[in-house]
Amino acid sequence: MADRRSGLTGPPEHRRTTPARAVVIAELLHLESSNLLELYRKRETFIANVISGDSRLVSVPPPSSQLDTRDKLWRLQTALLQCRGLMERAIAKEDEELSTEMGEYKTLRKMVSDRLLYLVNTIGEVIKAMDGPALVTPSFNDSLEPDNLTVFEMKLWVFRVFIEVDYWAKTAETVLQALPKERVKPTRLRSTRSSHR
Amino acid sequence: MITWLLLGSLFCNSQQDGDFKDDGVYRCEPQNLAFSTLDNMILLTWQDDPSCMSVHEVLTYELEVLVADKLTHYEEVTIKAGQIGSTHSWNWSSHLPFECASHKVKLRSRSGTHKSQWKQEQTIPAGKTESTRPEVYPRDKVFEVGSRATFCCVLPMDQAFEKLFISGHDSKNWELSNISSQVHVLTVDLNRASTTSCTNIICEAVNDKSRVVDNGACAYIGYRPDDRDLTCETQDFQSIECVWNVGRDTHLARKSPTIYEFLGSRCPEGYNGRCSHKMQKDYGAMSWTLTAQNKLGTVTLVDWADLSHRVHMLAPQEVRVSAVNASDVKLDWEWGVKKYGGLSMKCQLNISDGETYAVVERVGDGLNSVVFNDLIPNWIYMVRIRCGTSQHFWKWSNWSSSVEFHTLGDVPEALDVWMQEKGSQTIITWKVPLANQSHGDIIDYEISWAESSKRQEKERVLHPKHSFALHLNTTKDYVVSIIARNQYGKSSPSTITIPALNTGSPKVKWSRAQGSNGGFNLSWSANPIASCGYIVDWCPRTRSCKIDWLRVPPNKTHVSIFSKNFTEGVRYLLSIHACTQSAPTLLERIEGYVKEKIIQDGLFKILKWKQREMDVEVSWNPVAIQEQSAFIHGYSLYYWDRNSSVAYVSTDNPQATSLTAKNLQVNTYTFTVKAITSVGECGATSINVTLNSMTDNLIKAVGITLVTIFVLLCLIVVLCYRKWECIKLMVYPPIPIPVLKDKWPTPLAKQSSHPVFVEMSHHTEVELMAIPELQCKSEAPSKVFAEQESVSSSSTRESRNHPVEKLMTLPCQSPLLPLSPSLVNNGHLNPSFNATSPNSATGSNGYKPQEKKGYSKEVAEKPLPCALTYILVPALPSE
Repeated sequence: MADRRSGLTGPPEHRRTTPARAVVIAELLHLESSNLLELYRKRETFIANVISGDSRLVSVPPPSSQLDTRDKLWRLQTALLQCRGLMERAIAKEDEELSTEMGEYKTLRKMVSDRLLYLVNTIGEVIKAMDGPALVTPSFNDSLEPDNLTVFEMKLWVFRVFIEVDYWAKTAETVLQALPKERVKPTRLRSTRSSHR
Repeated sequence: MITWLLLGSLFCNSQQDGDFKDDGVYRCEPQNLAFSTLDNMILLTWQDDPSCMSVHEVLTYELEVLVADKLTHYEEVTIKAGQIGSTHSWNWSSHLPFECASHKVKLRSRSGTHKSQWKQEQTIPAGKTESTRPEVYPRDKVFEVGSRATFCCVLPMDQAFEKLFISGHDSKNWELSNISSQVHVLTVDLNRASTTSCTNIICEAVNDKSRVVDNGACAYIGYRPDDRDLTCETQDFQSIECVWNVGRDTHLARKSPTIYEFLGSRCPEGYNGRCSHKMQKDYGAMSWTLTAQNKLGTVTLVDWADLSHRVHMLAPQEVRVSAVNASDVKLDWEWGVKKYGGLSMKCQLNISDGETYAVVERVGDGLNSVVFNDLIPNWIYMVRIRCGTSQHFWKWSNWSSSVEFHTLGDVPEALDVWMQEKGSQTIITWKVPLANQSHGDIIDYEISWAESSKRQEKERVLHPKHSFALHLNTTKDYVVSIIARNQYGKSSPSTITIPALNTGSPKVKWSRAQGSNGGFNLSWSANPIASCGYIVDWCPRTRSCKIDWLRVPPNKTHVSIFSKNFTEGVRYLLSIHACTQSAPTLLERIEGYVKEKIIQDGLFKILKWKQREMDVEVSWNPVAIQEQSAFIHGYSLYYWDRNSSVAYVSTDNPQATSLTAKNLQVNTYTFTVKAITSVGECGATSINVTLNSMTDNLIKAVGITLVTIFVLLCLIVVLCYRKWECIKLMVYPPIPIPVLKDKWPTPLAKQSSHPVFVEMSHHTEVELMAIPELQCKSEAPSKVFAEQESVSSSSTRESRNHPVEKLMTLPCQSPLLPLSPSLVNNGHLNPSFNATSPNSATGSNGYKPQEKKGYSKEVAEKPLPCALTYILVPALPSE
């Protein structure tokens, strides 16, 4: 973890920009979501195949090479926002149905949820800096609501949520790291340009 | 008769035909079967056929349970005569969930040898699933730790079984089987409670695309309630408080939390082990029931008591100090419950000064104040209170909050005074009052002393000095009095009588004591003169002694002494004195070590040895007490040479200063002396000694003698050689040639210088005085002088004071030869010899030997070595 963290720290001028900050947050989120997933897998003795099918909990337009940077960020933000909603519901369900004493797991779960929201907001700032639209509203697939499930099914659903979060954290890391360098501008310059309008 | 038999037979046949149907089936059979399930339980109810009413024998129903078409259970239900016609029921719990396999129940009646046909009820067909994934049953069920559970995995038709397991359990307790190719069963002994919310049972299969497909179920494994030890009490006489031990965690807090009911009402916070209930009546015997229930079982706890015996009072409130003095204080407090006002109670007061504490108990009705006595003046205290009923005491209340107070100051306590003799001085010493004895800030001490017949003398010593030296007349008794003073006044005086020095007092008993646990346990015989007890004082014998002491009451003749100043390996002198109305009397002295320690090697600074024939005596100086870290009980001497083993002699006499090793060989020995102590032999000091034989000693003595003789002879020879001329002259003197004159022989008086040689011994002193002295030498003058100085002491003081040259340069010539005047004048001749010339009786330096009678006498007594004799020299004829 330490190695990974140390790799996240770039030069000071890089850290001052919002996209760079977004990269760092995405990397952290990916690291924490991976840890959460691994912790859950061990605790529940789940194996990877316990999740069947290719159905995903997060629904966004399919990726395309024709999407420009702003659309890619918008798609990413939408997915992450859905992830955040799923996390919140997973936490609520677990607290309602399952055990209360979970120590490290509970802390990590909260950390991932908070980091998700922070990344969503940061990506929103990046999009805004690109003259993009305002924050998107998440839309959920109601059929995926975890109601009337057995406890095991609910555990599986939570597991799927964590997999989904991990997947999108990794995607965010990749997308944000691949942002064109010219887009990486200090926040203060962007503010100045906005004020000229 | 035959007719009657036929009629009877006909009746019997007709009766049998009534019990059977037309097809010969037994008519009495179960009817109106009702089949239901609850969890894993099959419930079956049925009624008897009306024909069963005619059954006179025992009616029995046989039940068979087929699980997956295999006979799994058989049971009989017997219906008593009075129960025939009523509805019957039966239940049975299957070990296998109904979803896993079909369950069939068959039922028939039997009476005697008659049996009805089987009636069959079947559950819904099971063991099949419409799902695309394996399904595990039962789901979300609660199990008790220690039970045996069965789970099954039902596979879709197109999937092949891979594995079925339960997380967190050892596979040694598993048993896998299959009902069919699609239904697999896991039977497991549940020996671990669910650590997280529930335990997973996971089934893994492979579908027709060779892809692994998993699914599972959750099982809650835990314990039934374990609550115990219900105890109920009241605090305010209005409600009952019950507490109990909730026991082991059920691990079912989410799925099946324990539900508590107390006296028929829910107890929502029962998981804390506490529940309260409003009282219905004030007193009297009551019983209280608590139930704790979860899905695994119910625990009922009952307590019974008279509530007046179960009063757990609330802690006193608003405790405050209302009056503070130097040694007492009054405390007040309030009660939050009105009924406490008339309650007979006892209260404990815990009073502490931070280091020590005391608990005082007071009893009374509705106690709300108390007075504390015997407090230390000028002292800070903390006090807290708790109370309980005095009749049928049940429990103490909680402690009240602490209250701090400071008592007023007072005069100091009387001092503890003792004395110590140091030479001509008497040191009066006292213990500096501790904080709890000074009752304020000590300013100074006033010492007064007086001989009974004289005026009292006074001296003031400033604090913190705590001793005073007195030079007293040792023939008189003195009374010394000491008073301590602080800002509140003077203490009462402490007196000590210093007795006159009495040399005729009986000898004091001395003994030794061994310390234990870092101190001394002393005991002594009671002494009637010890009217005010005993005083034990002590100080180390090896250091400058700063005395410490302890007072012992008269009825006690033993004491344990501990001091932070005690050092191991140091000898202490302890003295026991009798405290009397007059001067203290020394009773006993005790020497001892708190703990004896090994004496370091090299104890004996100087080891001497002496060989006596073939014995060697090794001796040493007495060992000083300062060097003894343990009592020396004796000494041991170890000795050995290179070839022999170690030999050993010892003595039990601690005063010994030598030991002798006997019958040794001529060799080099190592001797090691050790001190014998109770902690072992120690203080080893060694010397190496080479022994000589007695023959060697004899040869050595003879050799030394011979060498001495040889040296003496050599000296004599050398002397003789050097003095040969003198010796020769003395032994073989040349015979003088007679000189014949005209008047020969002439009287001696007239011819004073006739050359006649006469033996010295034949002349009188007067004659000797009348002749000149001859000194002769044959060698270098300085050397001869040195010899004279060292070998003989016969030289006169006067002669030694003469210049060396004048004495020594005289050649040893014949005294008969006349001397040339030139020789006389150049000063190389003894001036005394110059007397041979009548004209020169007085030498150039005025020396007149004949005028000094004493000189001649001295010479006669101590003749010069080279003055072999006095020679009469005849007067030379004047020319």
